[in-house]
Amino acid sequence: MENRILSIRGMTCAACAQRIERTVRKLTGISQANVNIASEKLFVEYDAAVLDLPSIKEAITKIGYEVVEKTDSQKVTIPIGGMTCAACAQRVEKAIKNLNGVESVSVNFATEKATVAYFPHTVRQPAIREAIEKAGYKALEINKTDAADEDRARKQKEIRTLWTKFTVSAVFSLPLLYIAMAPMIKVVKLPFPAGLDPMQFSLIYALAELLLVIPVIGVGYRFYTVGFKALIQRSPNMDSLIAIGTTAAVLYSLYNTFQIAGGNFAAVESLYFETAGVIITLILLGKSLEAVSKGRTNEAIKKLMGLAPKTAIILQDGVETEIPIEAVEVGDIIIVKPGAKIPVDGAVTDGHTAIDESMLTGESMPVDKKAGDAVYAASLNTTGTIQFRAEKVGGDTALAQIIKLVEDAQGSKAPIAAFADKVSGVFVPVVCLIALAAGIAWFIGTGGDLKFSLTIFISVLVIACPCALGLATPTAIMVGTGKGAENGILIKGGEALETAHKINTIVFDKTGTITEGKPAVTDVLTVQAMGADTLLQLTASAEKGSEHPLGQAIVAGAQDKGLELLRADSFLSLTGRGIEAQIGGRSVLAGNRKLMEERGISLSALEAESDRLAGEGKTPMYVAADGSLAGIVAVADVMKASSRAAIESLHKMGIEAAMITGDNKKTADAIAAQVGIDKVLAEVLPQDKSNEVKKLQSEGRTVAMVGDGINDAPALAQADIGIAIGSGTDVAMESADIVLMRSDLMDVPTAINLSKRTIRNIRQNLFWAFGYNVLGIPIAAGVLFLFGGPLLNPIFAAAAMSLSSVSVLTNALRLKRFKAAT
Amino acid sequence: MKNTKVFFGVGTAVVVVVALVVIVLKFAGGSLDVVGKQSITTFGTILQTIPENVEADDVNGGYALAAPDGSVRFIWSTDYSKSAVHDVMLELDAKPFIDAGLDAGKLPENYAAYEDKLMVGTKLGDDALTYGGEAAPLAAYEKIVEKYRSNINYHTALDHYGVMLGDGNMFEWAKDLSTNSTTGEAQDKDIVFVLNPLPLVAAGVNPEQVEGWAYAQVPTDDGDVWKLLKPFDLK
Repeated sequence: MENRILSIRGMTCAACAQRIERTVRKLTGISQANVNIASEKLFVEYDAAVLDLPSIKEAITKIGYEVVEKTDSQKVTIPIGGMTCAACAQRVEKAIKNLNGVESVSVNFATEKATVAYFPHTVRQPAIREAIEKAGYKALEINKTDAADEDRARKQKEIRTLWTKFTVSAVFSLPLLYIAMAPMIKVVKLPFPAGLDPMQFSLIYALAELLLVIPVIGVGYRFYTVGFKALIQRSPNMDSLIAIGTTAAVLYSLYNTFQIAGGNFAAVESLYFETAGVIITLILLGKSLEAVSKGRTNEAIKKLMGLAPKTAIILQDGVETEIPIEAVEVGDIIIVKPGAKIPVDGAVTDGHTAIDESMLTGESMPVDKKAGDAVYAASLNTTGTIQFRAEKVGGDTALAQIIKLVEDAQGSKAPIAAFADKVSGVFVPVVCLIALAAGIAWFIGTGGDLKFSLTIFISVLVIACPCALGLATPTAIMVGTGKGAENGILIKGGEALETAHKINTIVFDKTGTITEGKPAVTDVLTVQAMGADTLLQLTASAEKGSEHPLGQAIVAGAQDKGLELLRADSFLSLTGRGIEAQIGGRSVLAGNRKLMEERGISLSALEAESDRLAGEGKTPMYVAADGSLAGIVAVADVMKASSRAAIESLHKMGIEAAMITGDNKKTADAIAAQVGIDKVLAEVLPQDKSNEVKKLQSEGRTVAMVGDGINDAPALAQADIGIAIGSGTDVAMESADIVLMRSDLMDVPTAINLSKRTIRNIRQNLFWAFGYNVLGIPIAAGVLFLFGGPLLNPIFAAAAMSLSSVSVLTNALRLKRFKAAT
Repeated sequence: MKNTKVFFGVGTAVVVVVALVVIVLKFAGGSLDVVGKQSITTFGTILQTIPENVEADDVNGGYALAAPDGSVRFIWSTDYSKSAVHDVMLELDAKPFIDAGLDAGKLPENYAAYEDKLMVGTKLGDDALTYGGEAAPLAAYEKIVEKYRSNINYHTALDHYGVMLGDGNMFEWAKDLSTNSTTGEAQDKDIVFVLNPLPLVAAGVNPEQVEGWAYAQVPTDDGDVWKLLKPFDLK
């Protein structure tokens, strides 16, 4: 029996709790289901053999509640050493998954990391590490403080080791190949030592080959230790294929060496030592190239990790002291001189400067900073010396969060990978069977030609490449998400990346998304005897307590005119309509047509003016004093410079652009016309935005919602892809699938374009990986030979196999050339 | 710890290599030159099969193995320091060649014509050979293997051993008289006298008209070559 505690959102009363309990208890395999409405948690006990956690979550979601993914489980990312192919990743994944208390596990072969969500009360980290070790791999240390350096050093060491192995292997296998091939080449007489003449000194020749192949087998020992271990544990991997193929070649050659020793000199023509040696050398070459290429796929994350400075200068008792970055604490006053990097996140307390935040946002222009402004770790102080108070350190900084987000995204799997994962899981055993079947069939078909059937057997084993299949998706996702991060586009996972390319409708929030979000008062019209300044003063005084951008614009407008704001005796925000306030005994209403109509206030005196203002893209706000219309204060926002170009780009991509706003229809239409919006969803209350998105989805559209991530959170969640634009705040990061670090709308087409390119790249990779195996295996099995075509030499099979992984990686690396839309 | 593992690995590899080489050598009867060693054994078999055709050749200072029809002899010296012209050679009846157009004056230096015979062979060296006991026919052959191994050949295509007499002339014998073939197909070629036809052709011989000799293509490692052949089945 498994026990789990799930956090539930959306419950409003005890009835909700009962409903959830009833629903869950109906599921087969549940023995207990109790909801605590106060803590909003569901305690569930179930039989894991008949029911899994995702089914429970699905049942709860279906009845309208949200299961928060982050339950009481913890997440850890463990670097793993010794994985050589996708089957290894599957093996590690299986080993960890078998542990009781593991909620989910995702092993990424490309990053060589296992991301494990587990319940610490059931399973501890050492047990997870032990499971990895037991499966035959190394659970490497997690060093949070200097992860970038350590990871880099480890990768470089691995690359060096592989190159050394390849060099040693090549040093022995090249002469091996030469002495094996030179006597066979008749066209040109290649120099060859007479004492090694295979026909005259057969045994010396065979022993020379044996002596040359043994060091090669020695450096490739891992193929045998890992491969045979995996085979014994009935989960064969790529190493198993190499191990079986080359062992068969070596054993057959050894048998023939004894035949020669016994006087059967014709057996000299059946030596396969060079096949085994060259196969191992080529695979080592492939692995070396693969390691180099894999290192390049996560360069983006390495760059991010390397951005943070290692020390900070803090002000302690009036003395500047340089301390390691890990020793900086919240509240420390930090001094940053021109040319130095900001070590942690904080707020400027003294001085002013311009800070280059391009490494975080992609925005090339330095941003002016003065006292009170926020500064972010890793950004570059360019002009003046500043002091700032540390507010977020270590893993809490924006940089750390971005790194985590990108790392999580790179570790995630796209749905498109599911099929490749399934195939990888059964690939090796199936290939073993095909090799065996082909070998036996040819043995029978050729009337017992063991040499021929062995060639077929080895070729099939060696040409089959699960690595290419395993690398096809994660490498493209890594490069794609990394490239996004370089451009200030944070894509939160493989699924988001995959869905984004299907988007055909994008809904933009208006304020702060299409417009700058900094509205200003443009017109003040009155109908009573009240003067314009009085109306503005009264309205601004009423709006003083408002957090709405329009209200703040009116307050700023009054202050700019030097008008004194009056004290409001009461203030009430009427969501989606406006505000109501009492000022000096006068009742003031400020808001939209709906509010006025609800309160029975006639708008006829200013209806025409209102329409005119709206037609100009301005937002007319009706103001009523003591129950009758007093006037209109019109506010207009400035359009972002990139809005029109961004929407044009989307149109070129065949994507329809919609705008959603609480503004009246006329204003919304006017703004939409200016930027080229196709569909306007006006006068929509904030709580109805998600319904509008839902309506579009019900029309069969795949919808993305672009908003600031706070007011638009429900719509962002409802959309197929939520794109938070702007600040990169915690809220934005959590609510959206894609976070745009800059406020530039051009990043929207860039993100979608990146998604399209990445998915196209994944498809190409999968096509090559599948195509390579689908074509390669039958050729190796002798299908072409059957129809008079060529027979594949195992050496060429090994070369092709190595090249398949390298070609997939090289294709993924092409994504690095992706350029953002301008 | 890591060094220990490396030493252990290298040590194991060395032990495996040494063990394998020792086992293979044991299997090969202690000799790396299994071709040379077996050629001695099989040449001994030939000598034992037709002992009446083996005789001392005092003129050439060695032994001669005559073909069953007496038309050709393979002669090998017992002491290279004493043999006048050749250390290994063929002595053959000249008549079939003369009848086929031979002008003996046009033969190259490795040929000698006297009375009704032709001699063709090569000088291996000037070694004064010594023997533990008597310089028996097989012991004299062993000296060729020992001193001039490169003149001993294994002819893969026919599963024959042979002594190379220079300029493409050879004396060959079957490795296994019972099968006498790498393919298992029986061939009546227990011993074969082989001549390179080119010098003879240059001396006026029409190779297709040499009576008692077959003019045929012989498969070799370098492809098929034309030879004049006189094979015999000793069984």
